[in-house]
Amino acid sequence: MLRSEHVMARMARGRLVPHRIPPDDARALEAAAELCELYATHVGEPRASLEEKITLTEEALGPRLDARRGFKIVRALAKLLEERCEWSAPTASDPYTVRTRIFELAAALPELPAVESNLLETVTREDLISQVAREIGSDDPISLMYADRQGAQVLSVFEKPTPEGLISRYNVAQVQGVLYAARELVVDLGEGCDARLVLHYVKKLGLIYALEETNRGYRLRLDGPLSVFGGTRKYGLRLAKLLPGLLLTAPWSLSATVEWKGRDAILNLDSDAGLESHYRGPKDDGETNEVREAFIKAWARAKETNGWELEERRDILPLPELKTALVPDFVLTKSGERVYLELLGFWNERRLIERVELVREAARRGHHVLVAASENLGASRETLAEAAHGEVIPFKNRLEVKAVLAAL
Amino acid sequence: MRNSAGSGIFNGVISLRYEAGTLLASGLPDGERPPEPFIRDPRTREWRAPASAYREVSLALRETETPYTDDAAAFEKLVLESRVALEPRPYQREALAAWRRSGLRGVVVLPTGAGKTAVAMSAIERVGRSTLVVVPTLALMKQWYSILSDAFGSSVTVGLLGGGYHEITPLTVTTYDSAYIHMERYGDRFGFAVYDEVHHLPAAKNAIIPKMMLAPYSLGLTATPERPDGGHGLLPELVGPVVYRRSPEDLAGTYLAPYELIRLPIELTAHERYEYAQADAVYRDFLNKHRLSMRSSEDWQRFILVASTSHSGGREALLAARRRREIQAGAMRKGATLETLLRRHWGDRCIVFTKSVEEVYAMSRRFLIPGVTYETPARERKEILDRFREGRYRAIIASDVLNEGVDVPDANVAIILAGSASHREYVQRLGRILRPKEGKNALLYELVTTATGEEGTSRRRREAFRGATA
Repeated sequence: MLRSEHVMARMARGRLVPHRIPPDDARALEAAAELCELYATHVGEPRASLEEKITLTEEALGPRLDARRGFKIVRALAKLLEERCEWSAPTASDPYTVRTRIFELAAALPELPAVESNLLETVTREDLISQVAREIGSDDPISLMYADRQGAQVLSVFEKPTPEGLISRYNVAQVQGVLYAARELVVDLGEGCDARLVLHYVKKLGLIYALEETNRGYRLRLDGPLSVFGGTRKYGLRLAKLLPGLLLTAPWSLSATVEWKGRDAILNLDSDAGLESHYRGPKDDGETNEVREAFIKAWARAKETNGWELEERRDILPLPELKTALVPDFVLTKSGERVYLELLGFWNERRLIERVELVREAARRGHHVLVAASENLGASRETLAEAAHGEVIPFKNRLEVKAVLAAL
Repeated sequence: MRNSAGSGIFNGVISLRYEAGTLLASGLPDGERPPEPFIRDPRTREWRAPASAYREVSLALRETETPYTDDAAAFEKLVLESRVALEPRPYQREALAAWRRSGLRGVVVLPTGAGKTAVAMSAIERVGRSTLVVVPTLALMKQWYSILSDAFGSSVTVGLLGGGYHEITPLTVTTYDSAYIHMERYGDRFGFAVYDEVHHLPAAKNAIIPKMMLAPYSLGLTATPERPDGGHGLLPELVGPVVYRRSPEDLAGTYLAPYELIRLPIELTAHERYEYAQADAVYRDFLNKHRLSMRSSEDWQRFILVASTSHSGGREALLAARRRREIQAGAMRKGATLETLLRRHWGDRCIVFTKSVEEVYAMSRRFLIPGVTYETPARERKEILDRFREGRYRAIIASDVLNEGVDVPDANVAIILAGSASHREYVQRLGRILRPKEGKNALLYELVTTATGEEGTSRRRREAFRGATA
């Protein structure tokens, strides 16, 4: 994430356009490569000298990159590289002990330790330092004195990105930077967009959503607990952190109300904007996805479905009090009746409990939710049935159409 | 109590709950609404109010004898016994009484050096509930930590939130920045909020801090509540009205220490002056040639931009500019003068101030005296200041006095290493908080680097210098 002072955007007809570097900009790629190299070759060296080098690089590369904004661009790129660094202490001895000993000895002298030796044979600075050097068994106590300062920390690990990767991260970070000042974010989730994933991040970030159905999908209006008393920028940082989560799925479009230089402005963006997420996404459901896809195929091949249709579109059942929603895997319909089918896959216990709670809440609100649970899940069928307040359809490696129809 | 007939589910008891900086009311029958300022949150279908409504809501419920359960407040009773004598001065006692009369809410305005902290400590003792102290800077945070630990350390562990610390206790010190980020998690844990330098509170970001806190009691402290943007109009709502006010003039003479100010101009050495003149000429030629002005940091960036893209003389101009700055900052005589002063006042309690953190560490290494900056860990900072107070350390050098309200612990000599002439008020403020020795004035030296070499003024200054250090 960038600092606010590195965030750049221009206004075009009331819309905010965050600064962006074209992915094939040769000069920018060259600058990015040079910065990556600077960090990579600095491993083992202290932070303070890296900062000096960055200042020099900034002065050298900045103006070549962009007459007005070059400095900021270089700074911002460096800030993003900083996130890939690990730092460690430069010495095994304890600087606090060393300096405290030095100060105590010096204060005990009848006068300020002389910087140079003189005729009066008083204790000099040099005498005092050599005494401490002997005590701690190091020949340079002065350089140890403040070795615990941040600037003295040594770059121990640097995860070097490709120049292209850095530019891509930069472009996302600039949009995130604009979102720091957002009061509200409206996201339209299109067909096929993974609402479950989006809601996972909404809940994780402590945001509050309001859900509306639109003719093309769903609209999420996102802000935080205090927003209901009037717009606040307090949740801007979290809205910014949501963005890479959104970028893991498609299609969607978003619109944010942003306080920009004392005025209200709008930021618009959609999943076709060519931005790439650096989030890895929640560890999920590879296997459940296989089961899901296999079921869709099996359904299509099935000769008899007793008039039930499998809808392609997934519904969102809002559970506002729980700050989340249930997004069942399947919707089955037959003459106006809607039945939801939820797959419980191969998750850990906590996620299982969470999901079962959602199913139960949805059922309590009058939704008809069937649960299909993998037999590899560990929990017994009875326990699950009891927890979910309903029948559970067991499956082994694939979910049979017959079993589902029997439960309908 | 509004008993609504026919609602079987409703058990007649309103329940208050804290959630992320807000207060939720549940247990009401359909059609009933909790007292103001609760509103219906359509997003989550709950009754919601800002956490700060807690005082008003509890009072309203109690007044109407409405039964309710309080699952919101997570603060506790805090029995504090001060280890150091808190003997309030008469005006401090008046301030406290005025604040008590306004319902343990309000702002106390006292000049720097008049012991605002002492007022806060008595108030904390008086309220006897988990307390959060909010301050503008990390330096102040550490200073409060050390004062509160000294006073109440035997009754409670003092916690810190911000600057790398994240330890919440019933008596915690934090910064405005950290409170803004974290209070929605801890806003239920404190019954009393103290805002130091409370004129920072009405800033748009900070104003949300009290809203996220249940704390029924609050105290604001400042020397200057007025804000140029008129934001002080929000103070009554955020912490309470100004309940007590004294100006420096009201207290001068009786309570604030007199001091003597000695200004020492620092001349460049002949060699430095020569080098400086050369670098300056190269740099100024370049500025003139390219019609550049130099008034702000944008001007500086513009200069770098022009210099680094220029083919003739750009590189030289850059180097000259850097050299010029180095000479100004590192003037030889500054160190030498400081050495003379430290030697002269080795028997006194001497504190050195500089704006630059790097200079603190350089001088600390050079003179082997402890340095205190915003980077110094809280415990070590406390240890250094304690030892300084006890006389185990004779001199310390600090960078963070620029920040308002940082207390100077019992020093009778202060030396300001300023790059250029300092802010007058700042110098005065410093002077006021010095503690003179019996029968003597406190001394305040100000060392100013002068980079221009006009003969007349330099001679006069040299004479002044000799006069002061002879």
